[in-house]
Amino acid sequence: MLPFIKPHPLQKVSQDLRHDLLDMVYKNGGHIGGSLSSIDLITAIYFGNLFNLKKDHFILSAGHLAPALYVVLANAGYFPKKLLDTYSSFDSILQGHVSHDVPGVEYSSGSLGQGLSFACGLALGDPKRTTICLTSDGEHQEGEVWESLLFAKKYKLGNLINIIDFNQFQIDGPVSEIMPLDNLAAKYIQFGWTVTTVDGHNFNQIISALKNAQKSDYPNCIIAKTTIGKGISFMENNFKYHDVKNLSEALYNQAKSEL
Amino acid sequence: MNNSIRQSFGDTLTKLAKNNKNIFVVNADLKSSLFLNDFAKKFPRRFIECGVAETNAAGVAAGLAQTGKTVFLTSFACFSPAINWNTIKQSICYNNSNVKIIGSHAGLMSTDLGATHQMLEDLALMRSLPNMEVFSPLNALETEKIIKTVSFSKKPAYIRLVRPSTQNLFDPKFNFTIGKSHILQPGKDITIIGHGPILEEAFQVQAKLQVETPLMASLSKKISLEIINCSSIKPLDTSTILKSVKKTGRLICLEDHQKNGGLGEAVASLVLSNNISCKFIHLAVDNSFGRSAKTYQELYNYYGIGVNNLLSAVTSLLVKERSRFIRKEDLK
Repeated sequence: MLPFIKPHPLQKVSQDLRHDLLDMVYKNGGHIGGSLSSIDLITAIYFGNLFNLKKDHFILSAGHLAPALYVVLANAGYFPKKLLDTYSSFDSILQGHVSHDVPGVEYSSGSLGQGLSFACGLALGDPKRTTICLTSDGEHQEGEVWESLLFAKKYKLGNLINIIDFNQFQIDGPVSEIMPLDNLAAKYIQFGWTVTTVDGHNFNQIISALKNAQKSDYPNCIIAKTTIGKGISFMENNFKYHDVKNLSEALYNQAKSEL
Repeated sequence: MNNSIRQSFGDTLTKLAKNNKNIFVVNADLKSSLFLNDFAKKFPRRFIECGVAETNAAGVAAGLAQTGKTVFLTSFACFSPAINWNTIKQSICYNNSNVKIIGSHAGLMSTDLGATHQMLEDLALMRSLPNMEVFSPLNALETEKIIKTVSFSKKPAYIRLVRPSTQNLFDPKFNFTIGKSHILQPGKDITIIGHGPILEEAFQVQAKLQVETPLMASLSKKISLEIINCSSIKPLDTSTILKSVKKTGRLICLEDHQKNGGLGEAVASLVLSNNISCKFIHLAVDNSFGRSAKTYQELYNYYGIGVNNLLSAVTSLLVKERSRFIRKEDLK
């Protein structure tokens, strides 16, 4: 960031959320890599004053990013923050993958590739409201995603926004090695979508892209270039931190000091 | 009233949609086969065509249902629920969406289409899912009643339809209730339980018992079959089934489906769990793929679920117990 540009106020918000996220995953484990790459996007959706999420719809298709969403929902007042300590425990409502048992969650997911189809149905059935779907880049290897791209174009779902957490990694390594998506923007354009590419950690860019998307007549795709593990140096661009169990105290302290 | 199960489905839904503006169809390119041309013409905005993409169709159906619609997801059983099972599990069942899955052309009754299209595993797939209710109508009349009933429910449901026209076996005054089965013919010696038009065989067997086996004919006044239409496969009508099996002590399950995961397994499990001992024969496709034929009777005979197979099953259950009184040779 250039020194003369004032940081966006949400920058501070998402930094605090990262602390909550780290604490939660340190205690209970969880998919921290993608949660850190997507948390700015979810923060913009919930705290950017763009949507009324009592009426507009947010669908988390990449259900393993539940930790990021739970932290945002807790801070937005959907449920008490102390519940975050119980994440993925037997007697907790906070399921490992995102679940509609949790206040504020509209769609349960975990099996990849399904959320965008569900979002298409919502956008079609509720044309006056906006439906935002968050997918991951790796998720685009699932065939159902491409079926839903055809569908959204056919039914001219201009009220649908698919925001992609494009962090370039999946559980076993780089997306470009496991199954390359090549030029994803070109593919979306070819499928008849409006495409914007943004820096997924820059709130000015995320918010302006979300604003523009609301005015579109075509289904909207925002490709948000993000960094897996963003904010914690040893997790950044390291797919080993896709999912974390038993983070050591030393690494936790290092991560805390970096945030 | 015509006798086609599929036409009964299409006509009933079109009729219901006239008054119920919440009814939507999400279709996967099989509008004509499911007699939905009229629905699509009358309610174009409530007819959502997804093309041959059943997985997306299941997700779209769930999303639409979330906005308060009652959604009928229509295709052949060999595609939906076969291709899109995991989307049905997560997007429809786990999210408890108001989606009714219509799986048409199920079983060997899709005669000429062969193994890929003869869906024999749909009940196994659907019975195993939490929140899912599973129905298999006996005939056109019951199809109408089931479609009406589920259109008032908010739960996920799977309705299995078969291709050919059928005979109507029961009184139209009969009402379909979720979780209730119906005794089509009361009896005391053998319980025959099944679902779908294959149950017509049980009535043919009753007639054959008299005509083809002279000795049986002499006994036939004493022998009576209790024929139960188990169209509500999940939830099961436990009380009717248990009461009947307790009475007869002999049970035959008959179905155009794989043994694995079919109604027979559900009934056997129910009976055993209730400490009822009975003789049991499950007539169903046994771990085999289907194949083409011109008539379904050819296939039913080949796979051991035809009228003669049922007749053999009935006589064997009787012979085993009456062998003290009847010589086996007389039964041939």
